[in-house]
Amino acid sequence: MKLKKNLVAATMLAGSMTALSFLSAGTAQAQGALVMYCGVQEEWCRAMVGAFERDTGVKVSMTRKSSGEIFAQIKAESANPRADIWWGGTGDPHMQAAEEGLTVEYKSPKMSELQDWAVRQWEQSKQRTVGIYSGALGFGYNTELAKTNNVPELKCWADLLKPELKDEVQVADPNSSGTAYTLLATIVQIMGEDKGFEYLKALHKNVNQYTKSGAAPAKAVAQGETTAGITFMHDMVTMVVDKAPIKVVAPCEGTGYEIGSMSIVKGAKNLENAKKFYDWALTADAQKIGAEAKSYQVPSNKSTPVPPQAPKLTDIKLINFDFAKYGSSEERKRLLSKWDNEVKNLPK
Amino acid sequence: MSRATLGWIVLGWVGFALLPWYGFDRTAVPTLTDYIVGGSALVHGLNGAWWLLPILVPLLMSLRPALLPSRADNSTWLIASGFLGLALIVIEGFTIGLNGWTLDVLKALTGGNGPSQAGMGYGAALTSTAFLIILCHGLAARGWCRGDAFVTSSIGVVIALIIVFVFFPVATILASAFADNDGNFAPLTFLTKFMDKSIWGLDCLSSDLRCGVAWNTLFLGLLVGVGTTALGLAFALIATRTAFRYKKLLRVMSVLPIITPPFVIGLALILIFGRSGALSSVLWEWFGIPRSRWIYGLPGVFIAQLLAFTPIAFLVLIGVVQGISPTLEEASQTLRAKSWTTFVTVTLPLMRPGLANAFLLGFVESLADFGNPLVLGGNYEVLSTKIFFAVVGAQQDQGRAAVLSIILLAFTLGAFWLQHAWLGKKVYTTVTGKGDSGVPLPLPRRVALASYFTAIPWALFTVAVYTIILVGAFVRSMGRDYTPTLEHFLTAFRIERTDRGLYFSGSAWDSFFATVKVAALSAPLTAAIGLLTAYLLTRQRFSGQRSFEFGTLLSFAIPGTVVGVSYILAFNVPPIEITGTGFVLVMCFVFRNMPVGVRSGIATLSQIDKSLDEASLTLGARSATTMRRVVLPLLRPAIVASLVYSFVRAMTAVSAVIFLVTAEYNMATTYIVGRVEAGEFGLAIAYSTVLIIVMLLAILAIQLAVGERRLGRRTLSTSASPVAAQAIP
Amino acid sequence: MNRMSSLSSLSRSPASKKQAASVEFRGVTKRYGSVTAVDNVSFTIEPGQLVTLLGPSGCGKTTTLRMIAGLEMASEGQILIGGRDVTHLSAADRDVSMVFQSYALFPHMSVLENVAYGPTVQGISKKDAYEMAMEKLELIGLKGLEKRAPSELSGGQQQRVAVARALVLEPQVLLFDEPLSNLDAKLRRRVREDIRELQQSLNLTVAYVTHDQEEALAVSDHIIVMSNARIAQTGTPRELYEEPADLFVADFIGDANIISGEVVDDTGPVANVKIGNLNVQLPRRGAGPGPVKLAVRPDAIVLDEASAALGRITGTVRKASYLGTQTEYEVESPIGNLFVVQYGRKDTIAPGTPISVSFASQRGIAIIPGA
Repeated sequence: MKLKKNLVAATMLAGSMTALSFLSAGTAQAQGALVMYCGVQEEWCRAMVGAFERDTGVKVSMTRKSSGEIFAQIKAESANPRADIWWGGTGDPHMQAAEEGLTVEYKSPKMSELQDWAVRQWEQSKQRTVGIYSGALGFGYNTELAKTNNVPELKCWADLLKPELKDEVQVADPNSSGTAYTLLATIVQIMGEDKGFEYLKALHKNVNQYTKSGAAPAKAVAQGETTAGITFMHDMVTMVVDKAPIKVVAPCEGTGYEIGSMSIVKGAKNLENAKKFYDWALTADAQKIGAEAKSYQVPSNKSTPVPPQAPKLTDIKLINFDFAKYGSSEERKRLLSKWDNEVKNLPK
Repeated sequence: MSRATLGWIVLGWVGFALLPWYGFDRTAVPTLTDYIVGGSALVHGLNGAWWLLPILVPLLMSLRPALLPSRADNSTWLIASGFLGLALIVIEGFTIGLNGWTLDVLKALTGGNGPSQAGMGYGAALTSTAFLIILCHGLAARGWCRGDAFVTSSIGVVIALIIVFVFFPVATILASAFADNDGNFAPLTFLTKFMDKSIWGLDCLSSDLRCGVAWNTLFLGLLVGVGTTALGLAFALIATRTAFRYKKLLRVMSVLPIITPPFVIGLALILIFGRSGALSSVLWEWFGIPRSRWIYGLPGVFIAQLLAFTPIAFLVLIGVVQGISPTLEEASQTLRAKSWTTFVTVTLPLMRPGLANAFLLGFVESLADFGNPLVLGGNYEVLSTKIFFAVVGAQQDQGRAAVLSIILLAFTLGAFWLQHAWLGKKVYTTVTGKGDSGVPLPLPRRVALASYFTAIPWALFTVAVYTIILVGAFVRSMGRDYTPTLEHFLTAFRIERTDRGLYFSGSAWDSFFATVKVAALSAPLTAAIGLLTAYLLTRQRFSGQRSFEFGTLLSFAIPGTVVGVSYILAFNVPPIEITGTGFVLVMCFVFRNMPVGVRSGIATLSQIDKSLDEASLTLGARSATTMRRVVLPLLRPAIVASLVYSFVRAMTAVSAVIFLVTAEYNMATTYIVGRVEAGEFGLAIAYSTVLIIVMLLAILAIQLAVGERRLGRRTLSTSASPVAAQAIP
Repeated sequence: MNRMSSLSSLSRSPASKKQAASVEFRGVTKRYGSVTAVDNVSFTIEPGQLVTLLGPSGCGKTTTLRMIAGLEMASEGQILIGGRDVTHLSAADRDVSMVFQSYALFPHMSVLENVAYGPTVQGISKKDAYEMAMEKLELIGLKGLEKRAPSELSGGQQQRVAVARALVLEPQVLLFDEPLSNLDAKLRRRVREDIRELQQSLNLTVAYVTHDQEEALAVSDHIIVMSNARIAQTGTPRELYEEPADLFVADFIGDANIISGEVVDDTGPVANVKIGNLNVQLPRRGAGPGPVKLAVRPDAIVLDEASAALGRITGTVRKASYLGTQTEYEVESPIGNLFVVQYGRKDTIAPGTPISVSFASQRGIAIIPGA
């Protein structure tokens, strides 16, 4: 009976504690606070936060999520925004947020130091988002599996249609992954819409699974669960650095790319600090942190040293990716539903 | 007028005149005067917030019964005061928002933006609660619920909580099912989305195309419901009715999967059965069986969900099996029924409420599960992942997510309805106030064998899965590099000794502490509210009981993703502005996990004779005392079940919290998901191992604290003792 | 097995601290949705009396008892205990204890803990509560078994624990809900005597629900007969037996032959009733001239083997059963088939024998008003 009494007491205590400790929303940092949603890997996010706090003394509250989740959250919170800055993650949701007016224009004094593609995206988004890194689309294959299955060397998009790769290619579902949507847009831009869809239909026969997450095929290739996988090349590189038997391929026909972006949230409570971070994140020093955190994207500041492991953008035949067109909601919806109807539902 | 009523009237005034009515801005630094008097509704009201002043009217009304305690019409005054107070607070709360009037009509009428106000704070919360309780006390004084103020207040509070934390957010998101992208009412859009072929297509029957996602979900749910119930029953029978030597071990092991963070079982299954998994390699190298990808799809998700949800069935069924009156079985045996016949005709039917509950939980869990289909689903799509990607995926279609949620909800409620239809109105009371002197029957041979043959291989399989997980935490990279290392643990849980004491520099510490804190707070709350609800549902009669029950199930039926988004939509703006706090996480867990407490509470309570409560009441114990002294001790299995379940779910849930975590309250699971996404399986597994150990310790602590239920039943060994022999007249 | 042998020699009266209270129902109605379980019932139980609520199952007697306890709330009307209005009071606030049909012993507590439960929830210290409990256990003869779990006791013992638990708070009113239904016949007789003895020696007000009319007749000061949610008749056992208010009561209490007769005069307290060719003087009970129904108890009929004399009803014995203390007959007669019981050491009349029928003077035969 004693115990029971204690339990009841504990329950009540816990209840009142909850009320007390949680009802007071947020932190009480009046000065120098910044709320950041971070769309890249945890380690990179942490390193950025640590460096920024050290450099400026601003206290950063960081939450790491995938870009899609961040977009959904910022949209849901738009009536009363919680976040100040959205840093990292693929450019499409940033572009979409810009289109829907969830983010604000800002012209950083550092704009002049940036690569052309970053500036171009900034202009296309009406100054609402800026490129901070970029990564090219490509594919990788497991060299050990390729040897056992007698798959010849793969170099081009067309090679992925080889009959030896039947049920051996993995790529994400463009409905759930920005990476896969980049592939869809890239193929359409390289081959034209009709030929492009012919290609995707042919590829469908070799695809064993459309994964949910864009980077998942890289892991599957590393684990030997599939022979080839289509991802951003830097995702494959991370696996290679981790000693996976993977060969990373920049397709010979040329390829599209993503621009990892940064936007300031509309209605940010700490607008000045958000701008401070924005300017800082565009410096070469800040952009060096990526490689230190094992992320091998290409930085947008011209003077940032490109990590040696990173796929050299100069070695890759990059297409002139039309972010404005293929990033717009309308075109995206059209292409996705076309892909759903014409490719995904095909019998194998 | 009871002292409790008086107390609540005083608290109503305290909330209005002393405590801060509004929540503090996150950047503000409140002073003491902000906390006391300075921020109160009274001061705000006199300083321009005129809309707060009408609340004084019901507060003054409540004083009349307090000052003239013996009037006959006091109950009327209490009811009027409570009702008016609640109504006023709700009206002013919802019409005046952060940016002025919330209704365009009012903007047009007043020709301006109107006044604005922040979210409610301690004062508003306390005053609202006081009004609610005053209302309930008034109703009790009128003889509602046998004049029991505790019961009416409990009903009132639970209903209010369910309305605020279940109906309100769910209504918010479901409203978007009928809206187009601009938020206008568009029933046609709903119809098109609803009738979509990708949801209802039946192509898999006629060709090798895929079937609609709704059918996939339903099929998987049925398989998992049946599977978990069967396995859970096998474990429960072995644990309670056999002399199996390792049943303690079996019990622990059967509970292991429930405490495993999401993704981990999926990862382990890939590492065993995947194309380059351990088992596949062995089969290929020794027997030449070609490697395949069979694990991706229905089989993989099915196995993973069986592993994950069997423990729930087990926890539900063990209470029920223990509660079956042995006398009934003995009665059957004396009627010349063989032990097998007894089992089939008496024992099994008596377990019907338990079986139905176990099935319902397995089915609903499978429907709402998100982690396993994500990792192992392959091309087998289910509603929960569809909904998630409808929200966060490339299409960003919230309306579609809402439509899919409605379908998911319909399935769950359908299962609930079927369960009721099947159980019917039969009475399953087996713990009566009469002492039961029967001895539980040993299991019939074939049932025992069947139980062993299902449970033991399954237990071994669980061991294999956990070995993989354990090994994975201590090697560099599972499947590629088996160099033993502690590196993962060091990254996550490094502790440094500095001049100022210990510094937790590991990357996982923040989320770890936050998770433990939130879980430890939500578990007792969940159990308390869940069991209170079960008590109200089984022991009290009041109108609207059915819809009340439905409300408690609703949050469970809605997939976590949708709950997460709906909480953000509903609680990010005044009057209830709690996103970004730990409180919203706690409430989310409480109301998502409460149904388990309710179900297991109902299952156990329906076996306990109602006259036990009544006896206690006539002996002068009030409902609250009766709860504590009579009902709760007999409910111990259900308490353990709901405490364990809610603690564990708070530590392992992912889909709902992924939207609710903040920098301050980052949860372990979101951290792990991040690791998995980054391909750092080792770190993810290492962190999961730590969580598993924490949860094991917590479960042991819960079981120690709550203790076993004493029913005074004899076992075989004591029945032969002289004491018992003497007892027979 | 111990008996409650100490009862009669009980000298002190533990109930002396509190006065037994009356229970009064004023026009009480209980509805469940559209079903009326108790319909406008009024009665009074005097302090220190044992009143039985008697009736067939479903007549509303248990609901009435539960309304006294506060386990059901009246939909209409007033309930008073000891003169105080308790209509809206919860069970815990009424000074009433109840012994349940199933005994409702808490399975997770020992016998002592069960009995001491009432005092402990009232805030009495554990030590005192145990003392009070032990006193009551001694009173009912269960001392020495207090450490047992309820399941380790026999049915009769469990029943007595339930009584002790109800008694321990020395309530104003004690309620019994079919307390004997789970006991065997012999035990039943003994326990009901014990209950009666206990009630009288402690001067308790007791309301007692049963469907067994013999049990009711044996223990009650007063009986309230209920039928179809209403009170059919209230009275002492003798009144009910000898002056049933209606056909239902006449039939339900004991056995009765319902026969037709005719009142031939129209004034005076005594009516002249013609039955067949017999004239009988009976209390009028409001009957005017004309046909009436009469309830005739089986033992009020006298059979005579001597040939049918003038002014008697003739009949034939159809069946005869010898039952030791009495002999039962089925008799065919012009006024209908009669069920007759004859006491005393007489030779059994063989079936087929023609007999004459007469009625014992005054007792056991009554006009049923309004029938």
